[in-house]
Amino acid sequence: MRRILNNEEEALALLMRKYYTDLYNYAARFTRDDAMIKDCIQDVFISLWHRRQTAAGILSPKFYFLRAIKNKVLKSLDSTRRRIGNQTLPDDYDFFHEFSIEKIIIAKQVSEENAARLQAILALLSKREKEVIYLKYYQHLDNAQIADLMNIGRQAVYNLLHEAIRKLKELWHREFVTQ
Amino acid sequence: MPGTGYIYTITGFMKDYSLFDIADFVMDEDFIRWVNNNNKADGDFWENWLCRNPHKHLIVAEARKILESVGSEQPVVAPEIIDAEIEKLLLAIRLPQGQVAEFKRRSFPVWKYFAAAVFLTVILGAAVWTFTKDPKTPPKFTYVDATSSKGLVENVNTSKNSITVSLPDGSTVRLAPDSRISYGSRFDSLPTRDVYLSGQAFFNVRKDPHHPFRVFANEIVTKVLGTSFSVRSFEKDTVIQITVSTGKVSVYSQEQATARELAAPNKLSGIIITPNQQLVYEKSSQGFQKILLENPIMINPVSVNKTMAYEDAPIDKVFDDLGRDYGINIVYDTDVLKRCTVTADLANESFYRKLDLICRAIGAKYEVIDAQVVIQSNGCQ
Repeated sequence: MRRILNNEEEALALLMRKYYTDLYNYAARFTRDDAMIKDCIQDVFISLWHRRQTAAGILSPKFYFLRAIKNKVLKSLDSTRRRIGNQTLPDDYDFFHEFSIEKIIIAKQVSEENAARLQAILALLSKREKEVIYLKYYQHLDNAQIADLMNIGRQAVYNLLHEAIRKLKELWHREFVTQ
Repeated sequence: MPGTGYIYTITGFMKDYSLFDIADFVMDEDFIRWVNNNNKADGDFWENWLCRNPHKHLIVAEARKILESVGSEQPVVAPEIIDAEIEKLLLAIRLPQGQVAEFKRRSFPVWKYFAAAVFLTVILGAAVWTFTKDPKTPPKFTYVDATSSKGLVENVNTSKNSITVSLPDGSTVRLAPDSRISYGSRFDSLPTRDVYLSGQAFFNVRKDPHHPFRVFANEIVTKVLGTSFSVRSFEKDTVIQITVSTGKVSVYSQEQATARELAAPNKLSGIIITPNQQLVYEKSSQGFQKILLENPIMINPVSVNKTMAYEDAPIDKVFDDLGRDYGINIVYDTDVLKRCTVTADLANESFYRKLDLICRAIGAKYEVIDAQVVIQSNGCQ
């Protein structure tokens, strides 16, 4: 981060290489428009470059980029529907996320019947529960960052996580006691 | 309800894991790091902790299961695409400010067409790559279709002898004459280690359960976590053969793999093959057949019974030893054979010779069905 202050283009390129996959994947939760995601990521990095004098204040680059890309994508999605002010973001945005359970199926840690049930439970999680789980277990953010990013309180993050875990717990508990 | 243990983490006291319930573990950063990264320090800590709190084993196991079922790996964006995007970014920031400002106001600015023209080839390549990678597109099963346009590293053996190819992850491939193999340049940093084979090769795969190793050979995918095996898949052959030397591999057809990704991710387990077994895929009928190798080798040479010399030994012990030595399932009716005994020295004989000798001694016959040996007998007096 500090190096881009010194006009080092290479540092900017390094940042993009490091965070591209995270950013792309997060953006893909809101839209399936590949070209639009790429444009938004470009925009995020271009505006970082133009405001690089303030970049030293960025503590967690990853969190900074995730928030920037979310704002950018949601704004871009919204402007295709109607023009809105810069500050407000829609609260009812979509969040697509299909969990990949391939790994545990291949490792044979789960019966076919349970895999089907697991898939069903994961599919039934609410949009917000999915987002919390995604941010925590895929992007590895802490609860405070998740709260900030989702515009909700820490307690709400905790409740969402807890509710999602409760649903999963029931499934595995049954598996464990019947074994 | 939140377990009391979690409160301590918020207020900054030492965490008391003995007060944690399942949900607390699933949400705990340190616990997550242990499950995901599995490093030594964390492993030692948790092993130690579980020793002191043995009644927590079940809770920890359940918490692990939950974490594993929400997953932790995301699809990787291809390095070629990122490279193209970085080029685009560098070009954009080098343009005078005014033009960039323009770009911000208009949705399709002139500079973009310019950039598009400059990187047409790169983007086209990336687009083709994305297209071929998309699971929804109809599968193409020839080696050329699978490997062209992916920017893979290719090794071709045009010589008359086998050559050894070392892969970036430390695995090795013994490539037969007239055969070729390809893999991505960032092979060892992707979630799966994928190679494409045309011809015949023997694979010695470095163990890495987190990065399954997959061999794409025409219609067939062979998937392993770490083992050694060979695949023979020449375009001109009517069959594809997979033989295992050590460990286990799972095999499925690309047809199934694609259908699975679209409809039922949980339905496919593939066909598991073990040492001394060979899986034959017949291209015309699209059918699999599991057979035993003609000359099975001992996979457990240092087994309990080293000499294989028996004197009035009960038949189940003899069959058990034999099955264990070769990793081959021998099926027989314990009740019918319970009075049979064997006196013989079976050392230094081949698998089928041993089987012959045993069967002759007890007046039985054997048949190989589906890579298992099935014993038929009327019993002994």
